[in-house]
Amino acid sequence: MIGLVLYLLVGVGLLVILWVLARRERAPVEGCGRQFVEARQALRTLQLGLLPDNLIKRIFDREDFRYVMAMSPGEIGELFLQERKRISLMWLRRVRCEIRNLMQFHLNYSRLHAKLSLLTEIRLALDFTLLLLACRALRMLLYMRGPYGAGAMVGVLTAAAGRVCASSEKSLAFLNPPALESIRRDSAGDGATI
Amino acid sequence: MLSLVLWLAGMVFEFLLLVRSVQTKTVTKYIYFYAYIFCVFAVSTVLYIERSKPNFYDAWYWPTQFATLAVGFGVVLEVVRQALDAYPGAKRFAWRASCAVFAVTFCYVEWRVARRTEWTTLAATVELERDLRVVEALVLATVLAIVFYYRIELGKNVTGMILGFGVYVSVSLTTLALRSFVGPRFDVAWGLLQSASFVFGTAVWTVALWSYSPNPKPPTTGRGGRGDGGYDALVRGTRAQLESVRSNLRGVAGS
Repeated sequence: MIGLVLYLLVGVGLLVILWVLARRERAPVEGCGRQFVEARQALRTLQLGLLPDNLIKRIFDREDFRYVMAMSPGEIGELFLQERKRISLMWLRRVRCEIRNLMQFHLNYSRLHAKLSLLTEIRLALDFTLLLLACRALRMLLYMRGPYGAGAMVGVLTAAAGRVCASSEKSLAFLNPPALESIRRDSAGDGATI
Repeated sequence: MLSLVLWLAGMVFEFLLLVRSVQTKTVTKYIYFYAYIFCVFAVSTVLYIERSKPNFYDAWYWPTQFATLAVGFGVVLEVVRQALDAYPGAKRFAWRASCAVFAVTFCYVEWRVARRTEWTTLAATVELERDLRVVEALVLATVLAIVFYYRIELGKNVTGMILGFGVYVSVSLTTLALRSFVGPRFDVAWGLLQSASFVFGTAVWTVALWSYSPNPKPPTTGRGGRGDGGYDALVRGTRAQLESVRSNLRGVAGS
């Protein structure tokens, strides 16, 4: 009986996959230049717009809340908390979106490389999935406990980070091509060469 | 009567496919696929012509079924070859994953066959075909998972090949599993469903392969892809970015 269920699952599962294939919308075949520009933009947004320490501190620092509570009535404090929660959720949504862009960026390029490694790709896929799940969990925590109640996420994120740290190398060779760096160094300082 | 209609319909579609393949010169482009169609057409025609001879059909059905089943792997091969040809990385991924799935499933099937004391009966033959269909289904599912994961665009020809063959394999597998479970009572329904799914498959192929429609070419990176050392740099870059995002999120979580 278990065998029958397994065979039926494989058969029906394949039908479902075929259904998805038949209904799949054709993605526009865009020029590589545009994809690259968009991907770079996504990375820059993450690096400079969404993840700088001062921005994160500004959103999640308890001091602001303490200050408001000390200086104004409780209703203002409540209002502040609601606004801060809304901002933190917006921030998290943007981060999640940019992580997905980064993932897409990696997939768009890795699929063309003959040296692609099966294990590395599986590991990266797991890392991306964990990170996206962590974002989702953080979102739930923000919803439930507000902008200052995300401390419980530390364990999950630290464990995931530990695994990646062990294997990751801190090189940005691909994203910061050496040729471009040398041109930047050689330029007159006003950026005219670039 | 219905089974005879389905049989004839299948042969008509196969014939059309072969004629169009010569007219559109796609026979040289999808050689494994058309080898399969030719093989099925030849077997169907001979069985149809000789069906009135006593015992001919019963004696030749299963040997020819296994021959076409073996050649059917050519369709899966063609799908991998055509769908991922422009994506060396994804192609390499698909070959390795497919080989792993094939090896594991095939070993399992061999182990089952070796354990069988008697396997000349119809039931044993049905089980063997069902197990081989599982191999085809899993390899096809693996390739499709890779196509979805890397968002690879497929042309009309290859999409049709996958849909037609996939539906046939899926229905065959399901009905063979039910046949093993229910027994000879299911024979009539099994025969009809399998024939109908094959006719559906050939109809899909005829529409999809009526004219040559190759896969869209992927945009070229211009960044030294395809077999150089760029992949390592890409992985390092992606990991560094991941780590950057992760450390910032860790900061948020810890605040």
